[in-house]
Amino acid sequence: MLAIVPSATLLGVEGRPVAVECQVSNGLPGFTVVGLPDTACREARDRVRAALLSSGLTWPMRRITVNLAPSGIRKTGAGLDLPIAIALLVANEELDAESVAGMAFIGELGLDGSVRRVPGTVPLVEAISTRTVVVPLECGAEAGLVGGPEVRGAATLKSLLECLKGEASWPDVPPFKAPASPPAPDLADVRGQEVGRAAVEVAAAGGHHLLLSGPPGAGKTMLARRLPGLLPPLDRDDSLVATRIYSAAGLPLPQGLVKCAPFRAPHHGASLVALIGGGTGWIRPGEISLSHAGVLFLDEMGEFPVSVLDALRQPLEDGVVRVCRARASVSFPARFLLVGATNPCPCGRGDEAGCRCTVHARARYARRFSGPLLDRFDLRVVVGKPDVDELLRGGRGESSATVAARVAEARRRARERGVRCNAELPARLLDYSVPVTPSAQSLLEHKLRTNGLSARGLHRVRRVARTLADLAGDGDVVGDEHVCLALSLRAEPRLGDEPW
Amino acid sequence: MVSGSAGLPPEAYAAALAGMPGVGPARLRELLDRWSPVEAWEAAGDPRVDVAERWSLYVEGGVAVHLRGSAGYPPTLVDDHEAPALLFSVGDVGVVDGPRVAIIGSRRCTRYGRDVAFDLGRDLARIGVRVVSGLALGIDGAAHLGVLAAGDGAAPPVAVVGSGLDVVYPRAHRRLWTQVAEAGVVLSEAPLGARPEPWRFPARNRILAALADVVVVVESRTKGGSFHTVQAADQRGVTVMAVPGPVRSPASAYTNELLVSGSPPARDVDDVLVALDLRGRGPKRKRGSSATAQPPPDDPHQAALLEAMGWQPSSLDQLVVRTGLSPGQASVALAHLEVGGWIVGQAGWWERDSSTH
Repeated sequence: MLAIVPSATLLGVEGRPVAVECQVSNGLPGFTVVGLPDTACREARDRVRAALLSSGLTWPMRRITVNLAPSGIRKTGAGLDLPIAIALLVANEELDAESVAGMAFIGELGLDGSVRRVPGTVPLVEAISTRTVVVPLECGAEAGLVGGPEVRGAATLKSLLECLKGEASWPDVPPFKAPASPPAPDLADVRGQEVGRAAVEVAAAGGHHLLLSGPPGAGKTMLARRLPGLLPPLDRDDSLVATRIYSAAGLPLPQGLVKCAPFRAPHHGASLVALIGGGTGWIRPGEISLSHAGVLFLDEMGEFPVSVLDALRQPLEDGVVRVCRARASVSFPARFLLVGATNPCPCGRGDEAGCRCTVHARARYARRFSGPLLDRFDLRVVVGKPDVDELLRGGRGESSATVAARVAEARRRARERGVRCNAELPARLLDYSVPVTPSAQSLLEHKLRTNGLSARGLHRVRRVARTLADLAGDGDVVGDEHVCLALSLRAEPRLGDEPW
Repeated sequence: MVSGSAGLPPEAYAAALAGMPGVGPARLRELLDRWSPVEAWEAAGDPRVDVAERWSLYVEGGVAVHLRGSAGYPPTLVDDHEAPALLFSVGDVGVVDGPRVAIIGSRRCTRYGRDVAFDLGRDLARIGVRVVSGLALGIDGAAHLGVLAAGDGAAPPVAVVGSGLDVVYPRAHRRLWTQVAEAGVVLSEAPLGARPEPWRFPARNRILAALADVVVVVESRTKGGSFHTVQAADQRGVTVMAVPGPVRSPASAYTNELLVSGSPPARDVDDVLVALDLRGRGPKRKRGSSATAQPPPDDPHQAALLEAMGWQPSSLDQLVVRTGLSPGQASVALAHLEVGGWIVGQAGWWERDSSTH
């Protein structure tokens, strides 16, 4: 007899519906799975058999064929174990076809018959079109975020069968266990660093990419870690996208929907695939997608391989990254705020504090940052070690809450211009959105004429100046102070091969 | 006898010998002291090498070859105890005659050092003093740029380099290298094709010291290459002068040390002329008539910033702390100072600029 059970598989961050077809027929006993399963999926055979036996069921000594339709797309992971088991039981007439009508199943089986969690529950459930979906009990809350089909949880195969046969009632889906998360680091902890604090605030308000350069111990990492606390909570769309990405990457979602701006800080040993996304078989989202709508922090940016850094350029521009593999190509959302931190030179002291690097070591270090990548940083700020006096006696600065309120207001003003943040202001709108005072205009012209600024740099300076004016609560015209500060916050890089 | 070599000058054999692997300056001098170039080639040369072919490279490249004691060889070098047996030159080797001052210093200099080197180079050249330097990054290059900026009638630049004359090093100085060769002369003891190996630079520095009447160290860190030149100058009794620098600047650590150990200070071209015994030939002007005497800007913020900056590179962060201005106020004042030519900003650091005032 033939049975068909709906389920889904993961492709990138999206679920694809899959129909699990099972036929049990006379013939030489055997069990084959067809329809482009990957290794984990093919191994379902052994898991399903063991799970059935441990649940007190018998294994049919007949010929079993499982097809995963549509057979053109690759099925990844072990999430199809449960639907295969159910389809087999129906086809073997141990389970009434009526009892599973209108139901889809997602879950991995353990050898003891337990139903285990699978990564990507959110996008998988989104792909389901039936009335009810059965998921591992521990994924129940996650599945409920979608708001689509009715969610039922299953802890073991045995208890699931009892529920399906009406012998027991469905277990309650446990709610999210939101652990008390440690409070986000507060900007008030940063002593001194007036310029660094301003830069972080501008980055948060305008979505401007930020490069912090300074000696070790200057507080670059400390500043960067305070950035997510300044960002407003995600809106519903961003929240759903971020949740889908987290779910697809198999990361836990302790609070349900991702509501706060994510903060990802990969180590500089990260590979290209880890950062961009990819992998064999199951194409996973990379760090740049996990930081979608949040902050990607690259500490010791000069230590990242050049190829990895340059791969960031296209997603920075487009907000999505397309990962192409021989078997599939997938688009991941990747609209993130890039924050880099770097030492001024390999020894970390910098020119001004007795650097001991050779000319060539410095030139090599500088070459890591290609011109086009550096160009994408609207804010390039030099931070120094704070004064001893400031460290010991200086008062606490503004708290994150105060700054976050200004950031939210600045972002609201940006939305009135039709963009999410000022960094996204299109060049053609700049003259209209960022009118500058005549004296500021003449300063900009001087900069342009003395090659202190490129044409693209000019656009970026104007966007930053717009954000500064928004933060200050000034009117439409951007004054000298904002334009000059925007210029100061965009330090032109030192060229590696300058003749001096 | 190598076939087809008839009619070649002795310099051709000497140059071919210098190009042999394993023949350094000392070995070459030993060989050429004992034998004539042709005999030396027959004794130590590689018979598979075509001397004529090698020689054609020098002829085509416009590289002159001077044996020690021959007509083109700089007379001051002849009697030096470590004089190179063979000297290669591009340009007019005759320009070496006349008073000569070597301006040397760190490759990684500050704007202060660069400005001082530039000014010294320009002012010395205008008075007719040959500026000898190594065409390296930093102080060396700045001094020669100063010479080239001195205008018509100025003394030509003299460069002594470590690599072969067809191997431009550092590559960033390709243009400067050509300009110096056109206006003056570029000397080297390395044969064509010689890579800029590290050992060649201390060896080059002894030629610099031997050529100079006075050596001026503009900026140098404690373990800089200037150390070798100063040592070589001391051995030869050449006066070493040092440009005083801020006591906290690591780039001036060695020059300040030299001053402590008794080297005369070189504040400007007049001090160097005194050491050269050319007093009175300097331009008629009062000492300190440059930026230090410029009236400070009217704007109080700008004046405060200049005061806070001193002559050290400073970041916006430091300036904000020192002046108490807000970052915005400081930025406005800095922008105006930059337009006015008071300061130069680069890579997030601001420095006072003396060259435009």
